[in-house]
Amino acid sequence: MNAALGHTGVLLSLAASVVGVAVIGYGLARNRPETARAGRIYGGLVLVGAVVATVAMERALLTHDFSLAFVAANNSRSTPLLYTITGMWSALAGSILLWGLILAGYIVAMVWRFRHQATDPLVAWATLVTLVVAAFFFGLMAGPADPFRTVAGAVPANGLGPNVLLQDNALVAFHPPILYLGFVGFTIPFAFAIASLVTGRIGEGWQLATRRWTLFAWAFLTVGIVLGSWWSYQVLGWGGFWAWDPVENASFLPWLCATAYLHSVLVQERRGLLRVWNLSLVIATFSLTILGTFLTRSGVIESVHAFSDSDIGPLLLGFFAVVMATGVGLIAWRGDRLRSAGGIDSVLSREGAFLVNNLLFVAFAFVVLLGTVFPLLYEAFEGQQVTVGAPYFNAMTLPIGLALLFLMSIGPALPWRKTTTATMRDRLTVPAWIGALVIVACVVGGVRGLGPLAVFGLGGFAAAANARQLVLSARGAHRSGAGVWRGLVGRANGGMVVHLGVVVIAVALASATSFGHRGEVTLQPGRVATSDGHRIEFVGLTHISTPARSATEAMVLVDGHGPLRPAVSQFGANTEAVGTPAIDSSLEDDVYLTVDALPVHRGGPVTIGVTVQPLVTWLWGGGLLLVLGAVLAAVPGKRRRRPTDPVSAPVPGRHSGDGSRGSDDASGPITRAERSGPMPTLVVGEPGDDEHAPEPVPAGSP
Amino acid sequence: MTVTAGEQPPARPGTRRRHTTRWVAGVTLVAGAALVALLATRPQQTATEVDTPLVGQVAPGITGPTLAGGSFDLAAWRGRWVVVNFFASWCPPCQQEQPELVAFAYAHRSPGDAALVGVVFDDAASTAHGFMQSTGASWPAVIDSGGQIALDYGVRGPPETFIVSPGGIVVAHFDGPMTNAALDYWLARAERGGL
Amino acid sequence: MSGVSPPGPWRRVSWVVLVVVLGVALGVGASRGGQPPTATQRADAIDALVRCPSCEGISVADSSASTAVAIRHTVAARVRAGQSDSQIDAFLVSRYGPGILLRPPVHGATAWVWVVPPAAAAVAVAGLTMALWRRRSRAPVAVSAEDRALVRRAQAARAEAGTGAEVVRTP
Repeated sequence: MNAALGHTGVLLSLAASVVGVAVIGYGLARNRPETARAGRIYGGLVLVGAVVATVAMERALLTHDFSLAFVAANNSRSTPLLYTITGMWSALAGSILLWGLILAGYIVAMVWRFRHQATDPLVAWATLVTLVVAAFFFGLMAGPADPFRTVAGAVPANGLGPNVLLQDNALVAFHPPILYLGFVGFTIPFAFAIASLVTGRIGEGWQLATRRWTLFAWAFLTVGIVLGSWWSYQVLGWGGFWAWDPVENASFLPWLCATAYLHSVLVQERRGLLRVWNLSLVIATFSLTILGTFLTRSGVIESVHAFSDSDIGPLLLGFFAVVMATGVGLIAWRGDRLRSAGGIDSVLSREGAFLVNNLLFVAFAFVVLLGTVFPLLYEAFEGQQVTVGAPYFNAMTLPIGLALLFLMSIGPALPWRKTTTATMRDRLTVPAWIGALVIVACVVGGVRGLGPLAVFGLGGFAAAANARQLVLSARGAHRSGAGVWRGLVGRANGGMVVHLGVVVIAVALASATSFGHRGEVTLQPGRVATSDGHRIEFVGLTHISTPARSATEAMVLVDGHGPLRPAVSQFGANTEAVGTPAIDSSLEDDVYLTVDALPVHRGGPVTIGVTVQPLVTWLWGGGLLLVLGAVLAAVPGKRRRRPTDPVSAPVPGRHSGDGSRGSDDASGPITRAERSGPMPTLVVGEPGDDEHAPEPVPAGSP
Repeated sequence: MTVTAGEQPPARPGTRRRHTTRWVAGVTLVAGAALVALLATRPQQTATEVDTPLVGQVAPGITGPTLAGGSFDLAAWRGRWVVVNFFASWCPPCQQEQPELVAFAYAHRSPGDAALVGVVFDDAASTAHGFMQSTGASWPAVIDSGGQIALDYGVRGPPETFIVSPGGIVVAHFDGPMTNAALDYWLARAERGGL
Repeated sequence: MSGVSPPGPWRRVSWVVLVVVLGVALGVGASRGGQPPTATQRADAIDALVRCPSCEGISVADSSASTAVAIRHTVAARVRAGQSDSQIDAFLVSRYGPGILLRPPVHGATAWVWVVPPAAAAVAVAGLTMALWRRRSRAPVAVSAEDRALVRRAQAARAEAGTGAEVVRTP
């Protein structure tokens, strides 16, 4: 029954997306806006089908319906409730179902949000593109990656249970869905990018209208990546949180492009520049999510995430090829229409900084992609295996990271159009001194190593520069009577908080990787040893046996507190012994314990691996700051009313009837009457930033 | 002069119109096509013959206690073809290949014929022993304390299988679950000298 | 910093002082002292560059898998026996193949992976410089009377846009 229900749901969604594409396509081809609008209902049907299929799958899991091959492979009677529920996305076919469900949700949200412009061909094209993507994923589920395939032969009495690594930590309930909310969310801006290219209406504010969607997806992707890193730290038994694993890289690549896009679109909004960059970045972001899905699922590169033994690899690769060819082809076709009037006058300006920012992020993505794909290239040409591991990525990305930190410091202080060194000097002297003093303090404190010192110094510089912006903004808001909190919300200020989070993460990464140390102690029960300045006391062994997990735990006291229980565990019926770590965290450092060797005889010594890494908790704190900043950035700021505002911003107050929120950027679709192209702007370079009081400009500068 | 959107502004005198966008797009398309072609032609990770440096070299020694309680020394088995199989009870491909190995061992049970020896990889002796017994495997399985034998043979993860010639040279290395037919095929090729 | 003072000698001196302080601090910080590494440090350094064979891309130093533990013990034993780093690497490669090392060798065909990113960066920087140079050296456009009339008409049309009329769009 579950299989039938599930198949019904999948087929309904597939049919709805295909028919929706056909109907909207017909409406567009025949220039019948009403038909195009009728296509919206199909988005809703796709969601209905996805929900039905999801309910069927969860029902099958909860009732341990082993007639479904997926349930038999990923669930067992002894699996705890939480891991039964999360079993839906613990393996390939179910995770595609999750993708389809989230995509359907986004489509419905998009259709609802733009319901007043549904007859606009551009919105119709965007809906069509999203339905094409939905048709692909539900097509995968209808065929090669069928989650509701029944077992061939007799129904087994008990299932295998989920992968042992996925049963240890509750984060499995959060990481995949949040990550998918990020990945799938980029479909919407991509759809609008394609739509505006196809219709040729590139000068309007559509990319800006979808900027909040991109921010939303970006925020979730960021949280997903940070959670994934925390999860691997807690579970995988090595004191690391980022290994430049091919699948980690696959999630990082879209993040890099999306971050570049979120910055670069500000230039387009302000001055109408960098349009080709922005369209390319959006298309690249979405393409990379598909490429990442391919790399994860095709078994081409082995990885901790690899769901191998699947046939969908070639299909995903083909879809990636289609997406990329379509996107790049459209840009080539419309290329000359994208030229903007005006240009970047000087590198030492906000626009110049954003352009360099784009280049740096693209370089970052290029290095990560090259390192990930190079083993395949090498094997194809030389026939031998080579590993491109953390040493390569760390070496290549350190200079890029340092350059980005530097840009993060000077960027917010740079005015638009152009500036003088006098202005920059005035704004950045104090932050520069703070950065230098941070280095001096570290060196005096005994820190050695050029790389980490550079990160700390630039981090101090960046933190001081961004904090300065926040202080100025808060002060300006306070003076103008809007309240101090006003100076802390809004796009620019949220961005400053995000930058502070990045600085904290950079500092934590530099400390943990450069000054982390792994040691081993072999202790009899009741004995004490010292490792890297921490007192390790082994109390004794205990044995745990539950249906879900049986383990031998070593009870350990670290610096007198605990007990911590690193263990060697087996889950369910699976006899594979997996090491489960225990961590003693503090603001200063983390002591990470693993059981490296159990005693051979009763009462014998146990070997405990002790990894001490400084400032690891700062990583998670920095992640929280990132999320906080994203939330702050989503709050609408004050509207622009000044006559010297760029023409691409709508006059505020006209759109309150059609559902667009008041915002500090040109959000909300611009109706035909309001639409105006990129006229030569009459804006003179304004000193200071958008949302707070203009900064004093040194006399004598233009 | 009213210019509707989409028309290009007339080129200023003295400059060429540069189609930078088209060039970059073209290069990107070519690079993307190359990437897709590369990824499309990669084999998936299945059981294959692996070319590691050990092939063609003298087989490293295998000595140690067996699961059944005796002791084993590979040097004592010089003069016959030996199939060395690294396995673990918890690894699904090992479970998959075990019936095939049992069939192979039975087919070659006459003395002097090709022999099978297992090496336990990262598994408790009791569970490995239980696995061998429950599958009807009767060949010796060596306990690899400290993982030294696996290191000497360059084993990354079970199941991995090596074919050792009567002269003690490693002639083939396989990664992934083997079948009876595949073993016979490779053994025949090795005996003919084709490896 | 509120208020602005004209750049005087004090300001310049303070920047020079900043640069000097930075240089000295980084110089001191970059040096690590002259002691040769201990056996443990050598073993740790080698472990960090050897891939754990049964894991996914992490080093032997970071992993607690049985294969990693075995390699760590072997490396420690060989370091104590006095073997050099390259000898130990060569031994591991002789068993596991070249893929056991985390850092792709700088010589041979793998040199491409080291060379391509800096080369691409150089191309990008060159392209950026050329684009900006070209922009700067382009003669400023003379504004003709026709241009001014165009702008006036567009501004008037924009003022009309408040009444809902179609807007004339200019490139």
